[in-house]
Amino acid sequence: MSEGVALYPYLVLGALLFTCGVICMATKRNAIGVLIGVELVLNGSNINFVAFSQYNPDFQVEGMIFALFVIVMAAGEAAVALAIVLNFYNNHSTVDVDSAEELKG
Amino acid sequence: MNERLANLLQLSLGLDAAAFMPELLLCGGIVVLLLMRLMPRYDRDNLGWIALAIAGFACYQACSLWFEMPSLVGRSALDPDTKSTVLFGGMLVADSFSVFIKIFLLAFVTLVILLTLLTGIPDTEDSADFYVLIFGSTIGMSMMASANHLLMVFIAIEMTSLPSYALAGFLKGRRQSSEAALKYVVYGSGASGVMLYGISLLAGYCGTGYLPDILARLSTPGTLSEPVIALGVAFLLLGIGFKLAAVPFHFWCPDVFEGAAAEVGAFLSVASKGAALALLARIALGMGGLSNAVVDPAVWSKTVDYLVPVLAVFAIITTTFGNLAAYGQTNLKRLLAYSTIAHAGFMMMGLATMTRDGAGAVLFYLVVYLFMNLGAFAVVAFIRNLTGHEDITYLRGFVQRSPLLVIMLGVFLLSLLGLPPLAGFSAKFQIFAVVFDSARMFAEHGKPKLAWTMYVVLAAGGLNTVLALFYYVKVLKVMILEKTLEEVENRPVEAKPIPGIHAAYLSVLAAVILGLGIIWDPLARICYGTRDPNVVSAIDSFRAVPPVQTAPTAKVK
Repeated sequence: MSEGVALYPYLVLGALLFTCGVICMATKRNAIGVLIGVELVLNGSNINFVAFSQYNPDFQVEGMIFALFVIVMAAGEAAVALAIVLNFYNNHSTVDVDSAEELKG
Repeated sequence: MNERLANLLQLSLGLDAAAFMPELLLCGGIVVLLLMRLMPRYDRDNLGWIALAIAGFACYQACSLWFEMPSLVGRSALDPDTKSTVLFGGMLVADSFSVFIKIFLLAFVTLVILLTLLTGIPDTEDSADFYVLIFGSTIGMSMMASANHLLMVFIAIEMTSLPSYALAGFLKGRRQSSEAALKYVVYGSGASGVMLYGISLLAGYCGTGYLPDILARLSTPGTLSEPVIALGVAFLLLGIGFKLAAVPFHFWCPDVFEGAAAEVGAFLSVASKGAALALLARIALGMGGLSNAVVDPAVWSKTVDYLVPVLAVFAIITTTFGNLAAYGQTNLKRLLAYSTIAHAGFMMMGLATMTRDGAGAVLFYLVVYLFMNLGAFAVVAFIRNLTGHEDITYLRGFVQRSPLLVIMLGVFLLSLLGLPPLAGFSAKFQIFAVVFDSARMFAEHGKPKLAWTMYVVLAAGGLNTVLALFYYVKVLKVMILEKTLEEVENRPVEAKPIPGIHAAYLSVLAAVILGLGIIWDPLARICYGTRDPNVVSAIDSFRAVPPVQTAPTAKVK
């Protein structure tokens, strides 16, 4: 099963996506950009799941199910998040997260 | 083997569904509420009463599960040695701990729905959406309390979070509410993404997502010093810490509570904290091997060496930060938000002991915290309805307008502070007692460093009770001692009495607090259990810490 499949390149790719996503979340000022960062993080973990499931026969089914559920959850999360961003836009006429500064202290 | 498992699953599916009945009822309630919304006949009605009935019935079902616990755990086919039983092929676990949390959550949701009916915060036409979101979030929380697989942990946390994001922004037209929701969703989805990455590392590395297997793997000496595992555990705890609003993952909490309606704040502060604490307790105690049938002293001893200091440090920082930051607040909801952070820290102190009694003390604290925090948020909601303000600078001399409301707020705040004879005192007493006991226990086990850590926790807890005094009493001082605007201008003070039904709601909560403050033995017995093995207690699924081996001390002098 796992012959000829090296695990580490996939894990490195997953880690790379995760890092890109975290940097994206931390630096983007546009709320949509932050959400794209979140999606990158989720996909980084998904690559991990799929790679582990390919590498480890015990984890084969579980890893795939993990990945499927994460895809569904990511879709749900994106829908809710975009609705909230739209609501924010309706009230503030911008999606810049730095303009969310009325609540502090 | 697979065939046997399939047969087993088929046989137990009906029983599993029976043990899952409270959640199934809530799922049914969601469908009913959404369908009723479609019918023109009920389109304009407030569906809160139906939601109340469903939540009440689900709570009743959860209570009957509690009384069926002995037969429920007796039928465990997969692992007959433990006092818990797994549902749905090991995805969820049914033990007295999870059922206790379910009863706690559902009773709380029933009370919150009652509160929203009194304050009328979801408009009549929005009521179905509001209660659907509350129900969805509650299902997620009760799954958090019973999750037995990392996939379920992730799904449960997401199911809890997604409706909460929408609830925070439920007051659609308000700028502050939309800002609160945006902050919550940005931070929350970031935290859950990071947590998922940690889960992917943990599950992939251990080759399974089954929580008992992973906890067994983690408790093997040396595993946690592997960087991948350490990273995975850290990210997983980050996700839970975010739900718990533990410092340094607390930053969303004050903003969300200030922007969201007080009723939503009440729901988030008690329910999501309770569920997160349950999950943390299951993972932390499981790592110490306390959920195994037989506790291995070596495993326990290794695990407490690193887990106790970490939890203790986070608990102390969380409590202290919450209490210090609350002092400067003038918005009541924001002040209460920092107060909930401080209380989360107190409850983490109980978990930091890494004993089953610690978990019991946390459950006791949670029940008391439910009533006092719900009461405080309810008073804020009533004040908002009466005056339109939630800032204490507008509430000078409020006692002259509505004495009853201020007296009730006094009861709730002084209970949060921990003043006897109110229930907050008995809850804090439980926590301090287990911390003190565990300090002595660590000393007996030859771990003086951990014993001293526990004494530091005890001192920090005492100090924080004093710190909390200042801001709780400040609110009461402004409301009672300062002069109203009318008094300054020499006009008659306009009285604003609250409706009788609101007063009755608050009186019931206050009566429970007073009652639990004086007679706390029955609740403590349910939380801790007794020596009698036939009596079900909430922490039955955890084992006691192994006793000291006296043999090695008998060395030749």
